[in-house]
Amino acid sequence: MSENMNKTILDFETVSKSGSGKIRVKCRQRNRFIPVFLAGTGILTVVSLIYLNIDWLKMASRVPDIGEVFWELGHLSFSNMDLILSSLLETISIAVLSLLYSLILGIFFGMLAAGNILKHPVLSAVVQSFFTFLRAVPTPVWVLLMLVCLGMGPEAGVAGLCVHTTAFFTKSFAQSFESIPAETIEALEATGTGRLSIFFNAVLPASIPQIVAWAGMRLETNFSECAILGMVGAGGIGYVISNSLQGYDYGTAGTAILLVFLAAYFIERIFVQIKRKFH
Amino acid sequence: MESILKFEQVCKDYPNGVHALKNVSFEVKEGEFISVIGPSGSGKSTLLRAINRLIPINGGTVLVDGRSVSEQKGRNLRRLRREVGMIFQNYNLVYSLSVLQNVLHGRLGYMKGIRGIFGLYSEEDKKEALGLLTEMGLERFGYNRASDLSGGQKQRVGIARAIMQKPKLLLCDEPIASLDPSSSKTIMDLLWSMTQKRGIACLVNLHQLDVALKYSTRIIGLSKGEIVFDGTPEQLDDRTIEEIYGTSRENLMIGGNGDDKADTVNCA
Amino acid sequence: MIKRIPLIARDLKRLYTVLLAVLLVLFAVCSLLTNFNLMTLFANGDAFWEFITEDFLPPALPKASRIPGVLSSVLVTLALAMSATAIAAVFAFFVSLFGSEQVSPFPRFAKVVRGFATFLRNIPALVWAFILFSSLGIGTGVGFVALCITSFAFMVRAFVETMEDVSQDCVESLQAVGASFPQRVSQAILPSCLSGFLSWFLYCVEVNIRASTIVGMVGGGGVGLTLFSYIKSFQYDIALSIILLVAVMVIVVDRITSRLRKEILK
Repeated sequence: MSENMNKTILDFETVSKSGSGKIRVKCRQRNRFIPVFLAGTGILTVVSLIYLNIDWLKMASRVPDIGEVFWELGHLSFSNMDLILSSLLETISIAVLSLLYSLILGIFFGMLAAGNILKHPVLSAVVQSFFTFLRAVPTPVWVLLMLVCLGMGPEAGVAGLCVHTTAFFTKSFAQSFESIPAETIEALEATGTGRLSIFFNAVLPASIPQIVAWAGMRLETNFSECAILGMVGAGGIGYVISNSLQGYDYGTAGTAILLVFLAAYFIERIFVQIKRKFH
Repeated sequence: MESILKFEQVCKDYPNGVHALKNVSFEVKEGEFISVIGPSGSGKSTLLRAINRLIPINGGTVLVDGRSVSEQKGRNLRRLRREVGMIFQNYNLVYSLSVLQNVLHGRLGYMKGIRGIFGLYSEEDKKEALGLLTEMGLERFGYNRASDLSGGQKQRVGIARAIMQKPKLLLCDEPIASLDPSSSKTIMDLLWSMTQKRGIACLVNLHQLDVALKYSTRIIGLSKGEIVFDGTPEQLDDRTIEEIYGTSRENLMIGGNGDDKADTVNCA
Repeated sequence: MIKRIPLIARDLKRLYTVLLAVLLVLFAVCSLLTNFNLMTLFANGDAFWEFITEDFLPPALPKASRIPGVLSSVLVTLALAMSATAIAAVFAFFVSLFGSEQVSPFPRFAKVVRGFATFLRNIPALVWAFILFSSLGIGTGVGFVALCITSFAFMVRAFVETMEDVSQDCVESLQAVGASFPQRVSQAILPSCLSGFLSWFLYCVEVNIRASTIVGMVGGGGVGLTLFSYIKSFQYDIALSIILLVAVMVIVVDRITSRLRKEILK
């Protein structure tokens, strides 16, 4: 019976065969781009590795040193606890302050950048491309420049972080604002409501859950950025870490790294909770 | 006749303290078509998954073809699983692959090494899969993505995949729970004809009492993890139904009473 | 007192009020802790403006003899980001298979795997770079490893989440068929999750382009190091051209990845 069935089915026009006469099994309309992409990525990676010309043997010969460093880091030292704690607090404060200032700036510029609020295409294009540029330059570069202008201190950190964060918020908030259906805005316009009034009464409240989500994501990034800023010369916990690593004070560095990890972890957990409340 | 499946005093407790199965014992023989009925949470799903050890049991023995399921490990467990086909409520297909590839997944348990990993199926297997699709009335869809099919069609692919395994026993976990009435009838008819033609014993979990009464050669009633009924559909009286479901028969059928069984089956 | 008619549901209103209050308190506490004052920024406005107009503008090119070096440092940064992300993605793929309870053949260790990834991820790339510098010495290779560690950890989480978003039912059905673990991965996980994985991979490439510039600044090589040396030697006009170069590089890569992502998710 099954022989018979096979005969009939093989005559069927629906059976597709490969060049060598084998029956094909894959989908007719599958994404043919993915294999090309994978091959391209593979080739690029190999080329990159050759170009980088890393001395793997030398690195490998030093691998045991990593274990030693971690062993040293594991011997936590609490003798500089007050310094570590105060710089950690400073780092967190800089991250939070830059986030708050950027939130306000981001909402303002996001309103300008979104195409559906002021309906001024040239303005939104200009704002968008300006912030695309600001966003493309990594944060530490901005902080370094601010350090030059403002001198050492939290001001440089807050201002430098704000540049990148505001640019990020402008783009993402503009996206959220633009996702408000055009009909809603049209309906309000028809009642004679002004543009700004529409923004503050309809568009902004509707975007709050998304704004909270973006802000949470950004606080995590800002904290880790802020933690590394010390390494390029600003203060905070990063300075403590790099300084004590360079001075072979591994115990202090280990404690500081552990605290950075714990703080980052708790920020992540808290925002998971807040996002849940807003959904 | 030899028994294909044997439960001996099987128990299953979940870590949260729920006793899903309590001393369950029964036997299944070749060619039987058994419906397992019972309210939600009565342990039907656990019972089926205990057979191919998707859920491990705590006590007793499950014997498939005379081999104890709990004692099988690694390759032997996979060998045992390939002899037991399974059909799921949510079809459980790989939706980004073609219908034909999904049917051929039934052969994975028979394949080794590289051929299995890269899905290099033999020509005989492919022919057989195409034959099965024709039997299911899906010959035109072999090269479509599985996600493009309707619910009933997806379930037919699920059946074809299970039959590809050449199983001795077929487990069906609520096969028609997410389907509309007419597809449900097609699926039940197909299950009946495919298993009877090949002499495969079939164990079906069902919510619909009327469907169970129409198709089964034997019905097992589960309540709170215990077997409270095991017999032919004719033996199932109103009192037993009440014992299984904790409510009277009239309350179980929407818009009908127990007497016009045929009616309910047709519109279900 | 006139009782106002509430416009929104009470619990929502309370949520907003609490949130606003928390933000205000946070603002006050943080401002106090850092002694940050917006006014100092404005007070420094003149110096600021002077810096921008005098030192920064107009952008200047570095000496002609150094231009090829600058361009090749851009290539180093790109190559670093690309290869580190790709290598990390391969490792992350295999590890993430053990990080999901439903997929892993050892579900009990899934939590351990995820916890390990969380630990690696929550320590910034630059901290890793510093730890590694103190053991392996300064160089591109160390930048490569530091980037690998953070992107590996990030992708493990992203991949596990992708696998958990995509319905896991097909894994169960292949288990029932008697398929082995490699078969389940290649026949169920890969076909249904690959496009999601690749989308995360592209995101990670974007992030790493920026990160590799930063890691470069502290000794990992590439355009970051070049930029840092110009800033350190007060040649801000040349630094500005390099900043523009970095911006162009990042924007071009972002464009390319978003095009590729569209193709992949099609």
